[in-house]
Amino acid sequence: MRWDFSSVLANSDALLVGLVGTLRLFAICLVLGLGLGLVVGLGRYARRKWLYLPATAFVEFFRNTPVLVQILWFYFALPILVPFEISPLAAASLGISLNSAAFSAEIYRAGIQSIERGQWDAARALGMRWGQAMRRIILPQAIKRMLPALTNRAIEIFKMSTLASAVAYVELLQQGKLIASLNFNPIEAYTTVAVIFFVLLWPLVQFTYWMERRLKRDE
Amino acid sequence: MYQWDFAPVFAHWPLLAQGLVNTLKVTALSLSCGLVLGLMLALLRLSPRRWLSWPAGFVIEVFRTTPPLVQLFWFFFALPLIVGVEMTPLLAAVVTFSIQSAAFFAEVFRAGIVSIERGQWEGALAIGMSHRQALRRIVLPQAVTRMIPAFLERAIELMKTTTLVATIAYADLLFAANDIAQKTFRPLETFTVVALIYFVVIFGFSLLARRLERRLAVGGEATVH
Repeated sequence: MRWDFSSVLANSDALLVGLVGTLRLFAICLVLGLGLGLVVGLGRYARRKWLYLPATAFVEFFRNTPVLVQILWFYFALPILVPFEISPLAAASLGISLNSAAFSAEIYRAGIQSIERGQWDAARALGMRWGQAMRRIILPQAIKRMLPALTNRAIEIFKMSTLASAVAYVELLQQGKLIASLNFNPIEAYTTVAVIFFVLLWPLVQFTYWMERRLKRDE
Repeated sequence: MYQWDFAPVFAHWPLLAQGLVNTLKVTALSLSCGLVLGLMLALLRLSPRRWLSWPAGFVIEVFRTTPPLVQLFWFFFALPLIVGVEMTPLLAAVVTFSIQSAAFFAEVFRAGIVSIERGQWEGALAIGMSHRQALRRIVLPQAVTRMIPAFLERAIELMKTTTLVATIAYADLLFAANDIAQKTFRPLETFTVVALIYFVVIFGFSLLARRLERRLAVGGEATVH
């Protein structure tokens, strides 16, 4: 068995297109997932039942079903209910974003709950409303504690982006598949794709380890 | 207005049942191999000898950092050409998910073992146990209790990850959904039913896990993640 990466290198344009696709999907899902997660997380923290119950149902449903099933549902099932086409990018973005929103909601909730009652009481005593106290006092402190878990979520989102290849969205793995089938070089093609993911994500993983250690030391 | 009709989907219930059985099969096989392999990786990782701990650390990092679907494709499409053996979808899935979950389990085992106080080791060694005896009889039994919540969480993650086998044409529950949707031209009903089956099974396991976790927490044991 001889490894020969020249046929992969010759297709580096295709991989670059795939990388752009991966990064685009990642950016969309990161913003939507973590943004919506904050809304849902606040809903989970709320005392009012009409906020708490839907938020909880959302979190439980999306945490307890596989994300690939969610993507395929949005791709194959949703178009029947809505009067417009669902593109592979839209289906993948919906699935991964909602899934990540459910997971990050629990991170936000745990982070907010970890802030001592005294901080709330002091903020209220100064005359702040709930929203002000949350925005100016609680969230800034909670974010620091949530950062390692949120970065972890970002890494998970990056890894999940490969699932978009199941609906033929053009991303790194999809392009790897294409190169492998055109050049009959699955070993080199898939190894290259794996190495690209490792090189991109490894520094981020080390960064979360470092943040976790620092947070442990600080507290 | 779309007319929902679930009857054609339920007419294919044997496919759904077989799919669910296959999903559980991949999960159970990968889980048991992953636990054994994970303990081995953790012990290697903890070894004071660098030529043992570094390769173990490398395997753990690679499998935790790369996407599971890339790993699965690599084991299914690339590995058979390297080693020259046929790979069935089931074998590729079990190999991939075993090593992948082993990498996660290894970190749980390691954190659990490290969390046991030095005194336990010293006590065991003082009454004449060898390192291995101390590990097996004193340290691991205490560590495992602390690790249970993290194991359960990982096992549930694993079950969700097994849906990836549908992409290499193993007939799991998700693959059955694709199949039935094409046969009945009812993708909306099919994928909705399959999503609900997954939810019922996985949520059921989650509730069991939470109950067990609370029971353990009452016992006053610390947990590791």
